[in-house]
Amino acid sequence: MKIFFALLIVIILAFSGYHLTFRSFRLPLFARKFYLTGTEFLFLGLLLGPQFLNILDEQTCRGLEPLAALLLGWIGLIFGFQFEVVKLKRFLPEFFLAAVSEGILTFIPVFCGVYFALPLFIEITGPIKIVTALAMASAATCTAHAGIALLAPDSVAGRQNTVKLLQYISSIDSLVALLIFNLAFFFRSSLFAGPSWVRELGIGFVISVVACVSLLVLYLLFLSQKRSEQELTLVVIGMTVFISGTASIINYSPLLTNFFMGFCIANLTRDKERIYNILISVEKPIYILLLFFLGGTMQLGSAWIIYAAAGYCLLRGLGKFTGGYIITKAVSKLKHQPAFLGFGMLEQGGLSFAILFDFQKAFPFETTMYVVSMALFAILFNDFLSPFFLKQLLKEGEK
Amino acid sequence: MTPLQKRDNLLTCFMILVLLTLFVLWLKSIPFESSWQRAGLINLSLGFVMLAAYVTARILSIIGLPLISGCIFAGIIAGPYVSGFLSIEMVDQLKLVDELALSFIALTAGGELRLQSLKKRKKAIILNIVLQTVVICCLVSGFVTSAGHFFAFTGNLSSVQIIVLAILLGVISVARSPSSTIAIISECRARGPFTETVLGVTVLIDVLIIVFFTFALAVAKVIITGSAVMDLQVFAALSAEMIVSLLVGVGLGLIISFHIKRFGKDLTLFLLFLAFAVTKTSLWLSGFMDSQFNISLHLEPLLICMSAGFFVQNFSGVGDDFMESMDRMALPIYVLFFSLAGAALNLDSLRICWSMALCLVVIRIFGILLATFIAGTISRDPACHRQSAWMAYITQAGVAIGLAQLAQRQFPEIGVYLITLVLAVISINQIIGPIAFKIALGIVKEVGKR
Repeated sequence: MKIFFALLIVIILAFSGYHLTFRSFRLPLFARKFYLTGTEFLFLGLLLGPQFLNILDEQTCRGLEPLAALLLGWIGLIFGFQFEVVKLKRFLPEFFLAAVSEGILTFIPVFCGVYFALPLFIEITGPIKIVTALAMASAATCTAHAGIALLAPDSVAGRQNTVKLLQYISSIDSLVALLIFNLAFFFRSSLFAGPSWVRELGIGFVISVVACVSLLVLYLLFLSQKRSEQELTLVVIGMTVFISGTASIINYSPLLTNFFMGFCIANLTRDKERIYNILISVEKPIYILLLFFLGGTMQLGSAWIIYAAAGYCLLRGLGKFTGGYIITKAVSKLKHQPAFLGFGMLEQGGLSFAILFDFQKAFPFETTMYVVSMALFAILFNDFLSPFFLKQLLKEGEK
Repeated sequence: MTPLQKRDNLLTCFMILVLLTLFVLWLKSIPFESSWQRAGLINLSLGFVMLAAYVTARILSIIGLPLISGCIFAGIIAGPYVSGFLSIEMVDQLKLVDELALSFIALTAGGELRLQSLKKRKKAIILNIVLQTVVICCLVSGFVTSAGHFFAFTGNLSSVQIIVLAILLGVISVARSPSSTIAIISECRARGPFTETVLGVTVLIDVLIIVFFTFALAVAKVIITGSAVMDLQVFAALSAEMIVSLLVGVGLGLIISFHIKRFGKDLTLFLLFLAFAVTKTSLWLSGFMDSQFNISLHLEPLLICMSAGFFVQNFSGVGDDFMESMDRMALPIYVLFFSLAGAALNLDSLRICWSMALCLVVIRIFGILLATFIAGTISRDPACHRQSAWMAYITQAGVAIGLAQLAQRQFPEIGVYLITLVLAVISINQIIGPIAFKIALGIVKEVGKR
């Protein structure tokens, strides 16, 4: 009976929780931070997972594979839609350069740290090590701006430019994160199993390009006619699942393929607003489900995960601080910005979760679950630390 | 829409279908090495079936076929018996999605039943249920008993076995497909006395059929074993199961209405997950009760969802908001459900016993015609209603298969014959049923009245 009640309670909690969390709940700031990012659902997932209630058992998860792919695809599409060239052009090219540089400067220390330090904790070698380091570094590159939304309006009022820059950087560095994550798929172990990996890589590249172009043509054909709201919903859901399936079959990422589609559709079709409304209408529940699935696989058994998470967090912080410092000194149009701009970029947010989930699905190595758990703990650390550093940054800017 | 636009639409649909098919054929030629790729194949198939079914339905709608017929047709083509794109294992793997969709449709079915309309059409609904049950059951049973020996398929069965087969087939023939009915009504945006009667009869028969079938099973057992005593405990257990299912449904309805009142209208995903929870929990609970307490308690997810939908529609005051949310997701759910239903249609069974299945379909339709005409005459329905009502009750689906599987477990000696015949009959009914119902709605002029 325990499971029966737990299932009902968890589902009611989850969906009522979504409304409380994202809509109308009022809490003290420290607790609001926890609720606004939806972190509690990670723990609800943990509760549902095999370590506790075992509702999200292996069989159920396998049955829910299409849903998992849909989640990743959906998130990819939403991110792709954010890169509408016309809107991006409103910002200075220096801003773009700064955001990309900051992303790369975060990537380098985290990649090196994970690559060299992870073998100290777990047995990890060869391409698996590279792939894991790339995935972890790309997740670390992401920045979220939910923390800014939580700040009182008066604390933001005098620093609108800094806040805008932070929001812009958090959108653009996700592009860097996705491109880095893309590299991980070039290091698939099956590629290196063959005698000529260059040839394999070439074939893989051609297949990916042909698939992406064909899918884009298909999508555009669907959107070439005026469709009702219900029909458009069907097309978006159907295409997202279809694209996710295609991506898996060609050993590629559903998140990245759908990101590419989202980017193209946002820039090529007249229905972009309607599609975006469909996508955004279930964005929060999708995000919650993603946290559920990730929480379900979290590992609590080993103490090293916590230490490694602290190290990962530290490396990421170092990257962000350095990146922030360098861009404010090197880019002339950003010289008036506070030198510790990196203080405002600690929060990791939704895309890191999606990257970790995609990594977990695409590269199910023995070590994956532990490494993902480490990254999840690091995201939690960052979520708790970021409000303090963000306040410091804005105070600094005031001076 | 101008003829030119229609031609453009058709051309685009064909181009999409060709591109989709070529793309999928190319992907299937790639060798699969990892579990990730195999998982991808499920997603690809699901997406393909959804999109191809929708496009096929759009093409077939030009000649007036209902959307679900297009989906079923696409499902048959993609299924294991025609192109083999969806294997039997894959159709089985997609069962979870199928069950989720069915629970969702059951919620809609309950929500479509408005107490006021049911009260107004009470007489016609009761008459139809009673007459259809008696007439169809008697005609089909009578036909199988008298002609069973003449068909090669059932020729080697003993007389007692033929009688048992006849009784079970007779009762299963009464079963309907509320999902198809709801889908057609929703597509045609139909409303009126004819639609209300059909909906009421279809949904109520779907509930009552479980009682009739349990009774038929008990009678069949008496005939097979030759004992003169009927096990009444079965009826007590069945009543308990139905009452508990209805009560759980009311509880679920309370939760849904609380959610709508407290948090607003945006509840499509909430409803989807509730439907999933009901399906999963019902299955788990029946296994748990059986293994832990040796009690056979099988909660009916469909009954739970239907009563939940009925409660929200009629007793919560938020019925319209509820139906609006259901409507938003209706198209993807219907397309997915009916294309998978098409893929699951067992054409092998039809090949094995097509002559007998065809006779059963004709007899059943004749029974429906007779019963609906008498019911319509007694309840003084307009002439067009009386003459076309039979077309609304042909569809048959999941419940009939479920009942046949249940009977197969109870009577393994005739189980194969029963299930093969039922699957064959359903294959025909599910193809002609939706088309006939759409035509009927057009004849009674209730299309587009919402």
